[in-house]
Amino acid sequence: MLFSELTGRPVMTVAEAKRAGVVDGFVVDPARATVVALRLQKTPDSKRNLLSLSRIRAIGPDAVMVPDAESLRTAEEALAEQAELAGKGLDLPDKPVLTERGEETGTVDDAHFDPETGALHALVTTEGEIPGRAMIGLGTYAVVVRAGSESHPVTP
Amino acid sequence: MSGERAGAAGQPGRERPEAGGRGEGSGAAGRAPGASALMLATGIAKRPVVTLGGEAVAQVRDIVFDSGGGHIVGFTLSGRRRLSGPMKRSLPWEGVYALGHDAVMIENEDALEDPGEVVERTEAKGGDVLESRVLTDGGKDVGKIVDVVVQAGTTADVVGYEIEPGDARGRHPRTAFLPRAETISVSGQALVIPALATEFMADDLPGFEAQVRAFRDRMRKGAD
Repeated sequence: MLFSELTGRPVMTVAEAKRAGVVDGFVVDPARATVVALRLQKTPDSKRNLLSLSRIRAIGPDAVMVPDAESLRTAEEALAEQAELAGKGLDLPDKPVLTERGEETGTVDDAHFDPETGALHALVTTEGEIPGRAMIGLGTYAVVVRAGSESHPVTP
Repeated sequence: MSGERAGAAGQPGRERPEAGGRGEGSGAAGRAPGASALMLATGIAKRPVVTLGGEAVAQVRDIVFDSGGGHIVGFTLSGRRRLSGPMKRSLPWEGVYALGHDAVMIENEDALEDPGEVVERTEAKGGDVLESRVLTDGGKDVGKIVDVVVQAGTTADVVGYEIEPGDARGRHPRTAFLPRAETISVSGQALVIPALATEFMADDLPGFEAQVRAFRDRMRKGAD
């Protein structure tokens, strides 16, 4: 699934059939090349805007289903829960891609990931696709990838 | 199926047209994969210093060369904001993970150290050759050094100079690249090179790489 496919999809609670937010971004652990949480907007409590992948009941074509609004976490809670980076500015889309050699190779447009496991299969950049496992780091300035991983052609 | 309609985002479509066009043409011009590893020293200044974790922690202020002007020993740094002054810390070459065209990569912030280490070496003579005149050992003025060509790998070696010809009668003097010889003498006034080096000049950086190699081969043979 592409980030862009899921972005904007509403998040609904199973318990109350209420809207708990809208998918707005993805929290990625670069070391494991995994999406660990979804960042939401329009949540009942604006600070509790993170949804761990493990809390998701189902990702349906029309909505992401969660048990209840209690499934949402603040950044601090998410951090304590799984010791992952949930900081600001770590979103992949629009981030410049740097190889470990210090050469820029486009910016991130989108990403392919497995919604079940969160595994990040590939970054879709302006200059082609890069396997998720090639990712070394993700900071506020750039995504850093292994040198030599940047020349994959765009697959349709 | 739930009764509520999810609006426009509801369809499980595989393609979202707006996702594709965004990056087109924006900075995608880029470098060819096998691009030259040569770079100009003046272009290194202001380059961001980025950790492998993707954080920009500083930018390059000045390059510090060794006393012979043969390679880079480190960088002085400034902060990343527009008006930031010099930083208290510097980056010795040993702390550099890679020197690229778009960033100086470091493993993490531990690579930075107190400036004393690097700056002590700055004062060494001969490191700064910009604006120096270049003379051959035959006494011919080749021009003035306007930039230094660096080849970055495990070390960052100075492999040549960008020269502005001395007899610039034309209004737009074209610069050329001159390989650096080991056998040079440098002073604050001039740099004296073997006349042979002038036979291996190039008009552009891509062409220069081959000339540097050819010149070195020739010098090696000459030494036998």
